[in-house]
Amino acid sequence: MVSKKKLFRETRIYPVIFMLIITIIFIGILATFYQLSIDKVTLYNQTQLKRMVLRVFEFPTENIENDFTKYITIQEIESLLYYEAKVDSVLLGFCFPISGSGLWGTIQALLSVTPDFEKIINIEIVNQNETPGLGGRITENWFKDQFKGKILIDNNIVRSFVLIPENETSGDIEINQITGATASSKAVVDMIYKNVKKYSPKLRAEL
Amino acid sequence: MKKKEIFITSAFTQNSVWRQILGICSALAVTNLMLNSLVMGLGVIFTLALSSFTISIIRDLIPKRIRMMVQTLIIASYVIIVDLFLKAYYPEISKSLGPYVGLIITNCIIMGRAEAFAGKNAPIDSMIDGIGAGVGYTIVLLIIAFVRELFGFGSVFGIPLLGDWWTKWSIMVMAPSAFFMLAILIWIINTPKLKRG
Repeated sequence: MVSKKKLFRETRIYPVIFMLIITIIFIGILATFYQLSIDKVTLYNQTQLKRMVLRVFEFPTENIENDFTKYITIQEIESLLYYEAKVDSVLLGFCFPISGSGLWGTIQALLSVTPDFEKIINIEIVNQNETPGLGGRITENWFKDQFKGKILIDNNIVRSFVLIPENETSGDIEINQITGATASSKAVVDMIYKNVKKYSPKLRAEL
Repeated sequence: MKKKEIFITSAFTQNSVWRQILGICSALAVTNLMLNSLVMGLGVIFTLALSSFTISIIRDLIPKRIRMMVQTLIIASYVIIVDLFLKAYYPEISKSLGPYVGLIITNCIIMGRAEAFAGKNAPIDSMIDGIGAGVGYTIVLLIIAFVRELFGFGSVFGIPLLGDWWTKWSIMVMAPSAFFMLAILIWIINTPKLKRG
């Protein structure tokens, strides 16, 4: 028996069979773990998105599920998803996802605008991989707040913001950039311009 | 060897980072924040302990020629479990660690321990060796992260320690500072040893 087993282990087929069996075992374990965690992950992502949408319209985010169903409706035109915010059936504005390439990866954000599409209400960064402490500061409030109330479309022309150094006082079309993170600051400004240019005609035509 | 001895050896006397200079890619990448370093360290300890344990159990069955494939498969499985766990229960940390959790697979310490220890020793001993190596690695991460976070963000574990007067050192946030810190650490620890000869 022992010698027979040893013989089998010396055959060429043994490593193949061994690898096959061990792969099946471990993939089985992983599939189980994946199934156990998938619900939690999807739920988290959904709540996170809802929280962001509420935040970008400056709603409180204590009661995400309730407030989201109360104020927000999800709309779609030509496969572009966007969100509509209404308070007591008064249209507050639209919010749509924008994205662009940052220094290290894609930056995803939500941009909310007034119903006439002329002013920015707010911007929220959903996903970014910029350098922590430098480009990562695009998620900080002082940077995002600069976009609040800025005029986006003037006489049907999409405005492009101008970057100025961090500590200078900014005017109507100027945004203070982050020191040491010019590329990331520029990426945010650029992606607003590009996405608004791309989507505003469609969305405005819809109104 | 006694269990305690195995632990001390793999965590300190033969520390993977400062004695063997293994696993430094991740030591450089995640050490700009203490919290990230701690979670990364725990992930590595978990993976090291269980992969060493598993490899040791089946060490006589693994065909020698394909042992590295088998080791990688086992290590990768545990790392994916860590990744799934973080995504489901600590999504914020998972997000800030980004791709580095997945990259634990390529951490040379784990395969190093599998090759050097788990392939030849009993399961429990291998597990202790794995935990030891992981603890040694985590200590290095935390030391580097402490200095980097303190100078780069003025905080420790996200708690601000240095006030507004502190000018944050941008270099400490970026990767190059980790090279300096790691080199200084290795220098400090190894100098007395080298002097003794």
